[in-house]
Amino acid sequence: MPEQKNQRLLEVNDLKKYFPIKRGLLKRTVGHVKAVDGVSLYVNEGETLGLVGESGCGKTTSGRCILRAIEPTDGEILFNDPDTGWVNLRELEQEDLIRVRQHMQIIFQDPYSSLNPRMTLLQLVGEPLVINHGIRGKALEDRVAELLKSVGLRPEYLRRYPHAFSGGQRQRIGVARALALNPRFIVCDEPVSALDVSVQAQILNLLRELQENLDLTYLFVAHDLSVVRHIADRVAVMYVGKLVEMGETDEIYPGPRHPYTEALMTAVPRPDPRASKDRIVLEGEVADPANPPSGCYFHPRCRYAEPICAAEPPVLREITEGHFVSCHRAEELSLIGVA
Amino acid sequence: MVGNKTLLEVKGLKTYFPLDEGLVRAVDGADFEIQQGRTLGVVGESGCGKSVTAQSILRIVPPPGDILEGELLFHRYSKEGDAFSMADVIDLAKLDPRGREIRTIRGNEIAMVFQEPMTSLSPVHTMGNQITEAILLHQETSKAEAREKALDILHRVGMPKPSQTIDSYPFELSGGMRQRGMIAMALSCHPSLLIADEPTTALDVTTEAQILDLMRQLQEDLGMAIMFITHDLGVIAEMAETAVVMYLGKVVERADVDTLYYDARHPYTQALLRSIPRITEDRRKWLEAIRGMVPDPYNLPSGCPFHPRCRSAQGECREVEPPWVEVEPDHWARCILYADSTTATAQG
Repeated sequence: MPEQKNQRLLEVNDLKKYFPIKRGLLKRTVGHVKAVDGVSLYVNEGETLGLVGESGCGKTTSGRCILRAIEPTDGEILFNDPDTGWVNLRELEQEDLIRVRQHMQIIFQDPYSSLNPRMTLLQLVGEPLVINHGIRGKALEDRVAELLKSVGLRPEYLRRYPHAFSGGQRQRIGVARALALNPRFIVCDEPVSALDVSVQAQILNLLRELQENLDLTYLFVAHDLSVVRHIADRVAVMYVGKLVEMGETDEIYPGPRHPYTEALMTAVPRPDPRASKDRIVLEGEVADPANPPSGCYFHPRCRYAEPICAAEPPVLREITEGHFVSCHRAEELSLIGVA
Repeated sequence: MVGNKTLLEVKGLKTYFPLDEGLVRAVDGADFEIQQGRTLGVVGESGCGKSVTAQSILRIVPPPGDILEGELLFHRYSKEGDAFSMADVIDLAKLDPRGREIRTIRGNEIAMVFQEPMTSLSPVHTMGNQITEAILLHQETSKAEAREKALDILHRVGMPKPSQTIDSYPFELSGGMRQRGMIAMALSCHPSLLIADEPTTALDVTTEAQILDLMRQLQEDLGMAIMFITHDLGVIAEMAETAVVMYLGKVVERADVDTLYYDARHPYTQALLRSIPRITEDRRKWLEAIRGMVPDPYNLPSGCPFHPRCRSAQGECREVEPPWVEVEPDHWARCILYADSTTATAQG
């Protein structure tokens, strides 16, 4: 692997996930939903990459394909494994995959449906330890108690079931389970969107604290752009299965270079009655990933579209260092952001 | 058209649910007014009683819940030329929830838009049928005229290709289109008050922006008042002129929106505003989280329900019910900090 990647932990190249559409008596495949359609991104060690977009844009599918929780259709998923160095997850056999995935974990969105109600905290949080390291008995209890403490839960709760906990506490259980194997990399899939406003801040602070203490790297999948601004070092924006923009958070929020990013950022209602009401309201609806428009998928809704946009699909290119945009007119447009 | 005329006065509303697990005081002291043609925001976290307040106004509180105390004074105006004159005042709390009178008001003078357009629309009726049903119920028109009216209102809410979508079933429409359909249904009888319960929560941001724009536009055109219920402080800041903050069934603060965001007095409002991540904010600042969690509704703290999580809590807060104090003209807060003086200064 090339040397310049030594700060990178994960690199994804041209990731694709097509779901077949089956119709008729013989269930023949009549088309494909291109949920993820050629996504390339990278995550540096110790940072948080926010992956944002609206529902159906493929952000969750991308997150899961990276872990091979669902099998990607095509692409490369390169991970810098602390034991063996760079590996392509897509080429791994089951046995190696299990080993590599000890370093890659996931925190789910809904803390109500992602915890088995029949398992105690000891079983839930301890399960990865039993399976991967065969730890049992007192050693297991000690390790789980320690994990619970690290996420702000009392170790006495070991034998309780998830129903006894509130949404915020359940999300802490989910975090403890993800931490059980000392991972390097965690996919956080909308970890705070099911929580109440006053509890969100607690979980966001916890995730940050853990990142600092344990040197974790996050891929933070979310639709809430305020949360992402707060937590992410870099941000990647998706639209209908494709990446449209990626770069430093502090660069993209005030100065987006893709028209979709501009609309997305300015659409967010701001909790400030004196804030500027300048916003781009998009017309129409998100394109259908089973039947996307020609050229740039965003062109039918784009106020800056020109004939080339309908004719040719734009490629993701680096316009300034570390800032990638997929728009024919990225250089010439002056777009508004949120300062 | 828009005047400073009171449309609805809610005074001391208490709606309780006697359940097997215990008595749930879903709404336990709500006081506010809605002005004609204006927007009142109601903000709070889950379980604060904001939706039950709306259900109480429409008298659709699900059993065993019931209004125990309070007045819901709905002012009706009759239109004479360009001026409005008051015709009568009805206390909605005293009406029979199944009676004739509330049924002439519900869906006609006061209409509601719900959060989940998928679950609150009938899946087996077309959009057109659901809208004309409301029109036929409240107005004396023929079916053909009702359909014309439905088409007109669908056009107004910006439904794409109304002549086709009128015969579509909800599952054939996208989330944003369904919410437009819901709004069309609610506005089909030109209500004077529209209650919108989290109307954009299930939508994506760019669709949300479309719907918020639409609601503002329709308010300008049709002049209805809006009671906008949401947990999103951003949406309130954009949509409302005045707002109330609810916590565990109580309205804890009420003020015009600018005052509420820049000079909040209740510790809960202050803490809430400090705890939310902001899109304009410097990255990587620590958030000031509110400690603890929203308590169990069967087992509420004594005294002020916010005291276990409050930074400014004193010994008394555990025992004394906090008073509802006018801290500044038209700025009310339910907190012991302001019990003695009506001109107490802000806590930052």
